[in-house]
Amino acid sequence: MSLRRQLTLSLITILILFAVNVGTHFWGSYARGESMVAYRNSVTATQLSTEVEQLLEDQRQQILILATLRETTDDQLGDAELQRAEEAIEKINSKIQKLGRLSHSVTELNYELLWNKSSALLKRWLKFYRSYNDPNIEMDMNDPLRFMDVSQSLQDLEERQAFIAAQRANIIDRTIALTDRITVIAFFASIFLTATLGYFLVSYTNTSFKRLKKGTERFGSGDLDYRITDIDDTGELGDLADAFNDMSDKLRNAIYDVHKARDAADEANEAKSMFLANVSHELRTPLNAIIGYSEMLHDELGDKHEINRAQFQQDLDTIIKSGRQLLNLIDDILDLSKIETGNMSLHCETFEPAALLLEAFDVLAPLLRNNSNELRRELGELPTFNNDAAKFRQIFTNLLSNANKFTDAGIITVSARELPVNPEWVEFTVHDTGIGMTSEQLSRVFDAFVQADSSTSATYGGTGLGLAICRDFCTLMGGSISAESKSGVGSTFTVILPSDPA
Amino acid sequence: MTAEKFILLVEDNELNRDMMVRRLNRAGLKVITAGNGQQALDMMQAEQPSIVLMDMNLPILDGWAASRRAKEDERIRHIPIIALTAHATETYKQYALAAGCDGYATKPVDFPALLITIKRLALA
Repeated sequence: MSLRRQLTLSLITILILFAVNVGTHFWGSYARGESMVAYRNSVTATQLSTEVEQLLEDQRQQILILATLRETTDDQLGDAELQRAEEAIEKINSKIQKLGRLSHSVTELNYELLWNKSSALLKRWLKFYRSYNDPNIEMDMNDPLRFMDVSQSLQDLEERQAFIAAQRANIIDRTIALTDRITVIAFFASIFLTATLGYFLVSYTNTSFKRLKKGTERFGSGDLDYRITDIDDTGELGDLADAFNDMSDKLRNAIYDVHKARDAADEANEAKSMFLANVSHELRTPLNAIIGYSEMLHDELGDKHEINRAQFQQDLDTIIKSGRQLLNLIDDILDLSKIETGNMSLHCETFEPAALLLEAFDVLAPLLRNNSNELRRELGELPTFNNDAAKFRQIFTNLLSNANKFTDAGIITVSARELPVNPEWVEFTVHDTGIGMTSEQLSRVFDAFVQADSSTSATYGGTGLGLAICRDFCTLMGGSISAESKSGVGSTFTVILPSDPA
Repeated sequence: MTAEKFILLVEDNELNRDMMVRRLNRAGLKVITAGNGQQALDMMQAEQPSIVLMDMNLPILDGWAASRRAKEDERIRHIPIIALTAHATETYKQYALAAGCDGYATKPVDFPALLITIKRLALA
């Protein structure tokens, strides 16, 4: 469960408990109020009963006295006295009625009994007063039973009311006790609940936070394979853990990329150093001949004996040849350096590839004759090119002179054809029946300064840069170059070029 | 050893070999030649030269391997070897010395200095 939902739930629970407390308080007040009214009524009724009883008693005494007077004397009642007596009886009647209004369903029966009996008594008393002055009417007022009856009913009602008052008082006490108990229970329950929730929340979030903290510390110390687990929370903390894990992933990838980039940079640096060392080595080889022969000739000139002119000239030729080789080497190195720094650009022009190939054949014809090699051509219908003609010429001059260099009294075949899938592309192959290469040599054939064997440059010459330049030129012209070879059987170089690199 | 002292020059490049032979001869030194490392080892055993000038980039068996083998072979271990290479860096010098070479010279060769080294190692 999410942290927010847990907090919300706790809050709601506490609010409910609070509402229960307030509700209990109001209910208690209401119940107490109700009982209080009933209690007060009962108490008032009890007082009223006592009052009525007293009035009845007084009235009865008066009537008994008057009745005795009437019998023994000719006493007459004045109008005022009669009226006063009627008022007194009416007062009693109204009090009894008031008592009826205070009556309760429980005392209904007692009251009805009282009402019937007291009504009869009061009517009789009224009749006594009204007929007091008429001597013809006989009235025996001394009948204690009837009065006692009313008195008894009144007392019954009074007892009943007292009982109800006591009962009500009891209910009020019980209600107060009950609401107190509920309040206390709800109070302690909410404290307990709050404390429990708080405890679980704190301990739970503590554990989660500890795991998060541990995770971030591990990440911080570089352990990016570490994962924050066991946060069984689909909410904020789980999200946070996921975010941390994601961050770790991304950091790891970023660090991996940085390492890769650094390795690549180191490799490139290493390659550069190797390249420089190789350049130095390759430059020193022809220089060794140039300086060596020059020093030797210089020494010979200082000698006293006759100079062998033919030998002298041959040595000078060697110096010149080595010098030219050095120049070629420098040109190649500059080309390669230009390509690799991205400064070599294409100079596109329209040309017929077959025509340029034939030019190259003418240029190389003397070399082919020197090695007794036969040249075969298989040139199909080719599209007109809009590409770099100079680079095209250099690629095939290099490939053909290579083929010638490593082939003796063999056959060199040059073929060219449109690619069947796309006639805008042409596949050129230069095949020889020369010494070939092993698969190990083949795998490094396009690397700079690599010749199949360190002796080959001695035997066959060359800078070891020609094929590297061919490969880079092909790429620059939008195409590719590949080689197949078998040691002792021959080599085939395949160049695939688009007629237009754009 | 007889008074007749001679040098074994191991060099696969024809021009360099021709040039070195002629210059050493002019300096009054007798020279025999080999074209690769294996041939050099065979000739060291058979001819017992006074000193070997060894190019390092050689076909069949390169100069480093040939030097190592020569120093493992009791019959020819005593023959001093001078490494002769166009590799001018300190690393390659260390390679050559680690392979057991007794001296080291870079191409283009400082010929007078090379003669002094040859004399110090073999002709003293």
